Amino acid sequence: MILDLHAHSIKSDDGRAKVQNYCQWISTRKVPIDGFVLTEHRQFDFESDYSTLAEKFGITILKGAEVETEYGHVLVFGVTLALTRAFDFANIHLPLALVLEASEQHNAVAVPCHPGRVRVGMSAHIDTYGIPEGVRIVETYNGGSRGNEDQIAQKMAEEQGYLGIGGSDAHIVSHIGRCATRFSHDISIEAELTDALRAGDFEAITFRENA
Amino acid sequence: MTISRIEDVQFGEELPVFDPDTSLDNVKRFAVAAGWNRPRFTDHEAARAEGLPGALVPGIMSQGFLAAMIHRWAPDAEVQLVDTVFRAPVVVDLQYHINGVVTDIDEEEKLIEIDLTLTNDADETRVFGTAKVLIG
Repeated sequence: MILDLHAHSIKSDDGRAKVQNYCQWISTRKVPIDGFVLTEHRQFDFESDYSTLAEKFGITILKGAEVETEYGHVLVFGVTLALTRAFDFANIHLPLALVLEASEQHNAVAVPCHPGRVRVGMSAHIDTYGIPEGVRIVETYNGGSRGNEDQIAQKMAEEQGYLGIGGSDAHIVSHIGRCATRFSHDISIEAELTDALRAGDFEAITFRENA
Repeated sequence: MTISRIEDVQFGEELPVFDPDTSLDNVKRFAVAAGWNRPRFTDHEAARAEGLPGALVPGIMSQGFLAAMIHRWAPDAEVQLVDTVFRAPVVVDLQYHINGVVTDIDEEEKLIEIDLTLTNDADETRVFGTAKVLIG
């Protein structure tokens, strides 16, 4: 099963894509993914229910979040109400250690994303803060990467023994599915996703021609 | 081929790719015409002295390229909104490509949405956005 683990909808301040149009695009263009995770910036979207859309298009639609730490941006999968009370998702100065620890306590999984990017990626902050403890997975393919950002992420993952996921980081409809993550088992709910991530049973893939 | 009726527009339809003229001469003409004539747009050395990778194509010029691309495809359309997110500098004298693709059609309101991306030769997105366009 292939899931794009990093996408934004109009719920994010810089997102311009309606979820329905993501589904229509995947279906019409035969984008080779089985679903995607909506990782809205600095929030968890409790109110939206995409189950009807998911059923109509036969696409798995899950929800996560993208929060901001001193090490850059971090995807959080398996978000619960209790986790949203453990730290303020809207805080742009979250300590990464808190995000990792709280995620662990609440059976969620935290994954630094686009770690090879300046300012908002983990590698840019290692000289200042050191190598963070507790990171197991980073995003090694990001659909919005420029230059050698993915290569920096992959090198860091190799050196530190991190596993890698892929996500498009789509903000507009036509960017969905540019990068994704292949799992060996079906995933239909967030808990199955976090189980699979904890088990390490996945690989990052890209569909970008110039990657 | 140009478009004049919403019935002729299909979801996923791609607009003809447009390669904008980002030469220094062209950017200088635009900067003067727009009253936005600053060294960071018209002088590579001055821009580099500001820490930029070179003279920049003004954001409003990029938006103009995007709107013009839509009008070439649908000359009578009303471009109601061009909403852009600038992800990385668009540098003068480098080659860029603008792609547009229809990602939403509301036949009742005669409104379509178009994804717009400005990319470089490495297919890196420098600017992306969406346009809302009313088609007769």
